Amino acid sequence: MLFLSILTVVFSCSSDNDGSPEDEGEEISPVVFDINAVPYPKLSDYNFFKTPLSDMNPVYGVIPYEPISTLFSDYALKKRYIWMPEGVSASYLSDGQSLDFPVGTILIKNFYYEHVVPNDSKKILETRLMIKMENEWKFANYVWNDEQTEAFYDMNGTYVPVTWNQNGETKEVTYRIPNGAECVTCHNSNEIPLPIGPKPQNLNKLFAYDTGTQNQLQKLKDFGYLTDFPDNIQTVVDYHDESQPLELRVRSYVDINCAHCHSEGGFCNYRAPRFAFEKTSQPENLGICIVPDENIDPYTNGGNPTHIVTPGHHDKSVIFYRLSTTLENIRMPLRGRTLVHEEGVAMISQWIDSLEGNCE
Amino acid sequence: MKKHFLLISGLVLSLNLSAQLSFTQQNVSASGTYKICVVDMNGDFLDDIVSVDSNNINILAQTETGEFEIHNYPTTTANNLPSWSIAAGDFNGDGYNDLLYGGGGGATFMFSNGSGLTYHEETPGEYIFSQRTNFVDINNDGHLDAFVCHDVEPNVYYLNDGNNGLEYHQGGLGDYPTGGNYGSVWVDYNNDGHIDMFIAKCGGGEARYTDQLYRNNGDGTFTNVAQEANMDNKCQTWSSAWADYDNDGDMDAFIGASSFSTGGHILMRNNGDGTFTNVTAGSGLDTYTGTSLEHAPADFNNDGYVDIFGNSNRVLLNNGDMTFTPVIVPFSSASIGDLNNDGFLDAFTFGTVYYNAGNSNNWLTINTIGTESNRNGIGARVEIYSAMGKQIRDVRSGEGFAHMSTLNTHFGLGTDTSIDQVIVRWPSGIVDTIENPDINTTLVIVEGDHQMGVKDIESNAFSIYPNPVKDVLHVKGKSMENVNYEIHHITGQLVQKGKISNGNINVNSLGKGIYVISIIQNGKKSNLKFIKQ
Repeated sequence: MLFLSILTVVFSCSSDNDGSPEDEGEEISPVVFDINAVPYPKLSDYNFFKTPLSDMNPVYGVIPYEPISTLFSDYALKKRYIWMPEGVSASYLSDGQSLDFPVGTILIKNFYYEHVVPNDSKKILETRLMIKMENEWKFANYVWNDEQTEAFYDMNGTYVPVTWNQNGETKEVTYRIPNGAECVTCHNSNEIPLPIGPKPQNLNKLFAYDTGTQNQLQKLKDFGYLTDFPDNIQTVVDYHDESQPLELRVRSYVDINCAHCHSEGGFCNYRAPRFAFEKTSQPENLGICIVPDENIDPYTNGGNPTHIVTPGHHDKSVIFYRLSTTLENIRMPLRGRTLVHEEGVAMISQWIDSLEGNCE
Repeated sequence: MKKHFLLISGLVLSLNLSAQLSFTQQNVSASGTYKICVVDMNGDFLDDIVSVDSNNINILAQTETGEFEIHNYPTTTANNLPSWSIAAGDFNGDGYNDLLYGGGGGATFMFSNGSGLTYHEETPGEYIFSQRTNFVDINNDGHLDAFVCHDVEPNVYYLNDGNNGLEYHQGGLGDYPTGGNYGSVWVDYNNDGHIDMFIAKCGGGEARYTDQLYRNNGDGTFTNVAQEANMDNKCQTWSSAWADYDNDGDMDAFIGASSFSTGGHILMRNNGDGTFTNVTAGSGLDTYTGTSLEHAPADFNNDGYVDIFGNSNRVLLNNGDMTFTPVIVPFSSASIGDLNNDGFLDAFTFGTVYYNAGNSNNWLTINTIGTESNRNGIGARVEIYSAMGKQIRDVRSGEGFAHMSTLNTHFGLGTDTSIDQVIVRWPSGIVDTIENPDINTTLVIVEGDHQMGVKDIESNAFSIYPNPVKDVLHVKGKSMENVNYEIHHITGQLVQKGKISNGNINVNSLGKGIYVISIIQNGKKSNLKFIKQ
């Protein structure tokens, strides 16, 4: 009881959970980090979050962030944070490249569902870390226990059945917690491990911090986590935002969901599409009027698509069928989903149908 | 006048078709989601159609009349599905083929339980992003092992301890750290009697997508010799088709492109000295623009020159001079086998059988039954000698990318009307030689029954025909009347015994499968194997 009250005092002293400029130099992040000892056996060993761990309430120096355009992961919800050691900061490379993070940086991503059956509760499944070591990024995955009190280092991969309610609908998934080898499939360029989300073009938006709403890049800079950034960043849009132009929403969607493999340095670099945002102002990079290498007619229920994207005809477009199936050998993206992202398919279909011209 | 014209046009049409290939389609009720397997499952060596779901194996068993008998064998819910490939082979040696599902999260075995009537699942549990799977006796101990290409790690394999035990291994057979392993094919490329392996590779950086050729050193180790063999090709490929395309006695390779981003299709001629020469230019494959995940060899027109099939509704017909002509066929990416037992290879894909209409060429189908070697004879080199020269085949499980095709060895003979010799070189080192076999039929070869120079008095004490047998087995030998016989299933169970009457034994009541007949004469027991269809 005495112990608890001491803890309460300590935490109430550092109630500013993501830091503010005036705290710099005064407050020290309580995160525990020894580059020679990570990955630790338990998530709590890092002390990223206040107790209870499952509230994901970050300590000083652990700063939340959110990409503008997000990866679909079987409708899992995500909370992301970034932490760096004292005295180092990331630098800007280009709009479309992840920030150049210093050694010791930890990117933290929690995957969870809300309204999980039967208790309408929140269920956290895993917390993925990317730790910047001396030479390259290291992946460290923590799997949460059923009691939601702790997550344990585990790179073996597993499946967790989840049933939850969403928008009045009960959904089910056999959620995949990846094996370590799966991480690099997406998280690489030229086979060098790399973060995907924290690109300037994908961070350049306002975020509601406890201390107030602020641009995410400015926040990182103010806190000392980013040296500088330009003020003319070509920025993606939130593809959920129907007020944005359809083409921009689609380009933002394929950037975060497809470009990590479909790029020069990606694992699927031998197929024609180049889905990175900075490439997709060129129609051919979106697959428009590109004849596919592989004939998937038998999987298209008579649709027999002729091009990756056939203007005006989603039912003649390979991309529609790749996104609409759950068959592992046909579906795209290959990793990270076993369900169909219905909203994504609807948006892509609407965009294809809006395109004019033909491929002759 | 009109009638006459129709007749002529009909004739032209049929000539045109016989010069190429002609297939008739029939939809069949293969109910499984994964329809990528044609192989014998009930032990009669007639190719069946296998389609699977997570909790069921659906088998359309070929019958003599060409109809299919529908069988469904429920399984436990498979931990992994054959999303990426399926392979078949008699891993547990019970006379019936087992299945290996290559899934995105690992491999699952479905083992037959000694009858081909029930199956049980075994999922070892290691994470594998499976691509091509193969059954092959990697350590040559007489038991089939299972090999799995890994997309994102070094390749893995499960060694069979002979008691159905699976021993997991990773390393030594394609070790690029982030994988890129798509299509493995096990082939004796240097004719040294040890089965080697080629991996078609794809994706990522050049080191990841450079193809690899693993030479079997004969001592349980393998060495990547792709560079010195000139097989370190860099096209983006998911599978290669290996056959002796020029019938000069060694295996050539077609490296089929899945994309043209780093080069096109490649045809490599085996120089016979452990190296290969790129002979793509002018072969007709240099101008062939179809791309595919699937490339596999098959002699569709029985002309004695092995053709290549893949996607894009094309078979690349072998012209006999290391050039190929793409001809249109009504299927892509199929499993291949003889689904009406007429000696012409048919195709099965997405619930439809494409029956090869055939032509007047002659043929021979061989069923290999290993004794010292694995039961299927996978890894055996089969040679035939006829007027046109020598042809060779390997018995392989797992060709192309995803599909499983027949384990029967199929030869086209063109217009040759006889075969001088069939030689089988088994993985055990045993060599069987059969002189002047009948053609346009099936020849059963049991390992060790036809060794030259070996006077095996016991096995020569009698002979049996036909083999495979349907109803009555005829026994030939000295003083056979009223002699006692026993028939055991290959698993050892005594299933029938009696006395030979009029040189005949009625085996009508036996189930399909491989059996051993024993004749006891003057206190001596002689054995022969036969296949009951």
